[in-house]
Parts: sequence; C-alpha cells; structure tokens
Amino acid sequence: MKNVVCYINQFFAGVGGEDKADFEPEVKKTPAGPTGLINQQLKAADAQVVATVVCGDNFMSTHRDEAIERILKALDEVGEFDLFIAGPAFQAGRYGVACGEIGKAVAAKYHVPVITSMHPENPGVEMFKKEMYVMKGSHSAGSMKDDVTAMTKLAAKILKGEDILGPDAEGYFQRGIRHQVWLNPPVCAADRAIEMLLKKVNGEPYTSELNIPKKDLVPIADALKDLSHAKIAMATTGGIVPVDNPDKIQSASATRWGKYDVTGMDRLEGGVFKTIHAGFDPAAANADPNVIMPIDVMREFEKEGKIGSLHKYFYSTVGTGTTQGEAKRMAKEIIPFLEEDHVDGIIMTST
Amino acid sequence: MKLELGNFYVKDIVFGSETKYENGVLTVNKEECLDFVKKDPHITEADLRIVKPGDMVRLVPVKEAVECRVKLDGSPLFPGYTGEVTPCGNGTTYCLKNMSLLAVGRHWGGFQDGLIDMGGEGAKYTYYSQLKNLVLVADTDEDFEKREQQKKNRAIREAVHKLAEHIGSCLKGLEPEEVETFDLEAIIKRNPETEKLPSVVYVMQPQSQMEEGGYNDLCYGWDCNHMVPTLMHPNEILDGAMISGSFMPCSSKWSTYDFMNAPIIRALYKQHGKTINFLGVIMSNLNVALEQKDRSALFVAQIAKSLGADAAIVNEEGYGNPDADFTGCYVSLENAGVKVVGVTNECTGRDGKSDPLVSMDEKEDAIVSCGNVSELIDLPAMPEVIGELEALARDGLSGGWAGDEILGPSVRADGSIIMENNAMFCGDQAIGWSTKTMQEF
Repeated sequence: MKNVVCYINQFFAGVGGEDKADFEPEVKKTPAGPTGLINQQLKAADAQVVATVVCGDNFMSTHRDEAIERILKALDEVGEFDLFIAGPAFQAGRYGVACGEIGKAVAAKYHVPVITSMHPENPGVEMFKKEMYVMKGSHSAGSMKDDVTAMTKLAAKILKGEDILGPDAEGYFQRGIRHQVWLNPPVCAADRAIEMLLKKVNGEPYTSELNIPKKDLVPIADALKDLSHAKIAMATTGGIVPVDNPDKIQSASATRWGKYDVTGMDRLEGGVFKTIHAGFDPAAANADPNVIMPIDVMREFEKEGKIGSLHKYFYSTVGTGTTQGEAKRMAKEIIPFLEEDHVDGIIMTST
Repeated sequence: MKLELGNFYVKDIVFGSETKYENGVLTVNKEECLDFVKKDPHITEADLRIVKPGDMVRLVPVKEAVECRVKLDGSPLFPGYTGEVTPCGNGTTYCLKNMSLLAVGRHWGGFQDGLIDMGGEGAKYTYYSQLKNLVLVADTDEDFEKREQQKKNRAIREAVHKLAEHIGSCLKGLEPEEVETFDLEAIIKRNPETEKLPSVVYVMQPQSQMEEGGYNDLCYGWDCNHMVPTLMHPNEILDGAMISGSFMPCSSKWSTYDFMNAPIIRALYKQHGKTINFLGVIMSNLNVALEQKDRSALFVAQIAKSLGADAAIVNEEGYGNPDADFTGCYVSLENAGVKVVGVTNECTGRDGKSDPLVSMDEKEDAIVSCGNVSELIDLPAMPEVIGELEALARDGLSGGWAGDEILGPSVRADGSIIMENNAMFCGDQAIGWSTKTMQEF
C-alpha cells in the first residue's frame, strides 16, 4: 500500500471562506473535502491518503516561511509517504500559489513527486510548472471531479512505476524538462528535415521539434514632447516600501505591489522607508532609500522646472524571482491608476 | 558535375596475406597495412583490429572515422590534405560500404574523442556500432599534447585518412555491385519543370572554432576558420573535399565518414526534380568572434538570395558557442525571405532543465532536434576494451570525469562506466542520421 499526503485550503476543507483565510496549518488524519474523492480513486492503484494538510490561503501568502515550516514539521510525524497532491486550485490565484509553495518545499525535503492542478490563468502555473506536475485544470470547482480524476490518474501511473508520457499525453503543463528519446518507428533527422521543409515551404502545418519560447517585448514609448509640463510618476522593482511594509509585498517571487504617497517629502528618509528586496545587500538602500527610489533628485528637477510635476504616489514591488506573468498582471493593475491621474511619463527603476 | 560512386558492400572483414575484396569479403594484410601506417615516424605503436555489430567490445578514445575509397582517376582521396589540391565530385570513386575505418588512441584521449560500444545497451548511442569497423589502434610521439585536453591528433587521424585510400585501392579494376550517380545540372540550366519546384540550399556549418591550426575541419585542406562561406557542389562534399577536425565535444562532431556520406545531401538529391530544386551547398563555418559570425551569416544569406533559394536547411556541427552561428544564420536567411529548417542537437543538462540552445530566436520555428549532449549514460563493463578505458575518466573527454562527489569517477573499478552523451563518438548524428529527438517530460 502506497501512502499519499494531500494539501487543500480552508475553503475546500469546509472551515470557511475568505473570513477564515487566516486559518493556521493543521494536519488531518482523515480525508477532508476533495481528498475523500482522491482517496477513493487511488484505491485502484493500491494507495491511500494518509494525511490532509489544511491551511488558509492568507496565512500561506502572508506567513509563507512559517506556514511551510509548521507543515513540514507536522509531516515528519505522519511517517513515510510516496506522493504529494495539492489542490486542485482552479483559477484561485492565492490557492494556486499556496499549492506551489508547499509542493515545492515537500519535493525538496521528502524527494517525492508532487502533483497539483490549476487553470491556465492561475498565476501559480507560471511560478511552479517547472517544479512539479501542474495538471491543466478547470476554471472553477464545478469541475472538481474532472480535475481530481486527472490528478489521480497521473498519481496512479507514478505510484505503479509506469512510464510518464510527457505533458501533452498526460495533461500537465510543460515543465521545461527536455530529454532525448528514440523515435519509434525510427525516422532519421535528414528525412524529418526534408519533410518539415516541404511542409513549411508549401504553407502546410508542421511541428517543430524545439519550440522557442516567445519573447514578450514591449515597444519603447515615443518621447515626451514637453518635459517641463509633464507629470512624471516613479515605479520600482527594487522593493522600497514604508518600514512596516503595509501591503505585505513578498521579498522574492512577489505577487503584490503597493503605492505610497510622497506628498510633502523632499526625499525618502531611512527609517521611514526601506527595501524588502531579498536579491541584494539592503544596507545602502535602507540607509538612503533614494538610491533606488530617487525622490530627492525628482524633487530637484521639479523645482528647477525640468519636469512639470512629480506624481504624488510611487509604485513598488520586488523583482527578484518574480515571474513575467506576475509582473505583467501587476502592471495591468497599476496602469489604470496612472491613467486616471493623468500621468504623462513613468520612470522605472531597477536594482 | 557528375559523380559516380561504385559501391562494394562488405559482408565480412578478415585478416589475410593480401589486401583484397572478393565476394563481399574484405581481406586485409595487417602487416603490410601497419608498415604503411608506420611510414609516419611519429606513429610509435600500431595495431589493426576488426569489430562487428553486436561484438561486446568498447572502443575508446575514438578519434576519427573514414570510409575506405579510391578515385579511379588517380587523384587523392582527400585533396589538399593527403595529396595535391585536385577537384572533387566529378568522375568515379569506388567505396567499401557498410564499414568504416576507425582511429583509436592506444592510450591517450582528449576533449574531442569519443566512445563506441559495438554491442549491448550502449550500442544505440552511436552510428558506428551498426557498421563493421576496421580499427587502427595507435600511439604517437606527440608528447607536446599527451597531457593536453585539446589534442590535434594529427598523426593518428592522418594515418586513417591515408590508410582509407590505401585499402580502398584494392577495389581498382573490380566491378562494383552498385553505381550511384550524383548528377546535378548547372543551376541556371535546369529544365523548366524542376525550376518550378521550391529551390533549396543546404547550409553546412562545420567546426572552425580554434584559432590555431590543426584542430578545425578542412575544406580541400584549407582551415575552415580562414574562409568565408562559399557555394559548393554537393558532390564535392560526398567525394572527399571535407575533412573532420579534432575539436568539439564528441557527440556533436561530424566525422570524415559523416561528411563523405552526408545524409542530408543524399536526401536532398533524392527529392531533386520531384519535390524540390536542389541548388547546392553553402559551406559556412563556426568561428568564435561575433564579427566573424555576423560576417558568415551575411554571406550565407546573400549567396542563398543571389541563387534565388526559397528554402534552406541549416545544420551546425556543435553546440554552445556555435548555437550563435546557427541562430544568426537561421535568422538572416529568414530575414532575406528564405524559409529555413534547422538541424541541431540540444544541451538541456543532465536534469533536462537548461535552455536547449545558448542562442535562440522566435524566427527559429522549424527545428529538427537530434539529442541532448548532457544526457547521463550508465553502462555495464564490457568484456573487451580496445584503446584504454581509463582515458574516458583521465583525459578530459567532454563526457567523462576523473571524479564526481555524487557520481564517482566515469570509469569504475569493475569496468562499468558513467558518462555524458557528450563523449559518445559522433553520437548525436546531427549530420542527419539521428533517429533521436527531444521530448518534454
């Protein structure tokens, strides 16, 4: 009999909704919510769910390190297990990220395969698809049975030691793991090249054996015509925030951002602002936050009339480890505010 | 240009008192052949061996493979290298098929050398395990590079280049079992039906990364580092114009045998006049400096465009730094309106997670992939080793190591080995033989 451990959030465990999202980690010995179905489906593979970890989505996102540590400690008590299943998380962003975070930690500590399931637009896909099997899941819990079945089908194959046939055949997102295989029946590269060439030249569909990831390049904006009347906003991925980090922006792999009012400030003072970025030595930026978010220089430019005015807010997040998908989403959330405030130009500072 | 290859299919190789080909059996006078090899005073020790598919034999360090041939007009098999500079690709050449002549170091190997298992589970990793092989095992007095990771392997390689012709000479006056004709009309004098077909060039990127002489592929004896891309008739390549060098991790290499049998040239010939109009080969290179890469890409695109090519196959001999040439060439052809298919291998790491190529561009939308250089391979001991097994671990072969904290040494005390595909002799067969591809897991 093989042992499986599951992870679900407070909602699917029946603890409660958003009001219970701070629910602290707990390990249940009996299946809860969808893990009952998982347990039932795994019987055919001679496997059982021996524990179900429940954690509130908020607790995981705001106390990530503590949550992971407490869960891992609790799992030490569970005894040996062969596989870890988290979710399904559907399109729930925080839940998806939570499944990814705990899955990654479990894989690193216990060296067991991890399976989760998310809708393609869940930010957790981009963040964790290289770390584990992320099944291509549905939009909402209405498709719970389908998503669970997809996960247990792959789980059964893994537990039985069967060949895993790759992302397309098994239904998980590409993990970016490429290995060589022998074609059966064998077709030599020369013949494959000619066949592909004829199709390409004749405008017929063909499949490249190496898909080059698409670059998402943003065209450079036109120059401002009159800087002296322009309203300029500042934004950074350098993690400059008020010292209490009111928006709880993560120090790495950020999914959150903040906007901070600098009305009446000639510069950002150390002790009032700091950086929470974990990708560099913060000493210089904590002593003088203007080295990353140069409000001091912008105020001088404003006085000199070089720029029309400095926008009252600066925008901040952390760039290190942050996925392109997350960065794009945050930008899309920020831009409407800047448009609403009639900002003419933005200076983006990095580290 | 019309080339006739007269083929003699070797069913067996044996040693005997006279080097001759009779009823499918190649008899080799070992003593006489070794005397021939030892005419080069730098060869200090030499032996000839015969290995066949399925033999439980491991060969390492393998340095070169050549097809034994002779040109009936008396011109050298490898002009500009084993003899005067004379034209290749026109006339009749006799070939010993189904076999190759291999060069194996008696002791010392290097970065560019590889391994062949003739039988067992390791056999699938090389093309040469499918052939009968006559093997020259030799040592030299080239002490200056004995302990160097990069070896020119001049004496041993030259020995097999010359011996291939020496043995091939036994075919003179015989009637070949089959004659293959490679006849490609002048580009502007083709029949209208052929001209209606999509016109295709084959862009070859042979290895030319070393600045110092003696390591790079040669074109009529000329170092490919010192040339700009040029138009060649495909027959020239099939007929000994190109010589393999002594550089590049071994699985990415094209041996001289590979050039002489270039499967993509043969495949293009087969389609010529049916589905495509095969214009010819643009011989490029893989120099290291960016300016040289840009210059080569520029020349390739210009020649293709001037010829009116609709499409091209771009093929690189190497990975890593050469990926920049591969991508550069691919993109400059696409920018010139030439539709490209690329043929290459990948380097995704032992865990498969690394970027497949060092340089990539979205325009590379049609790629045939031949394998992962860094795939980890664990093979049991072989009853017999030709050469010196320890070379894999000791001498810096690209896929071997003396010690590894987790994996241990490449060569274990019991004779079993653990290595990267990198050291499989011409293992990725990116010249066009590869039946491997890459798959997402």
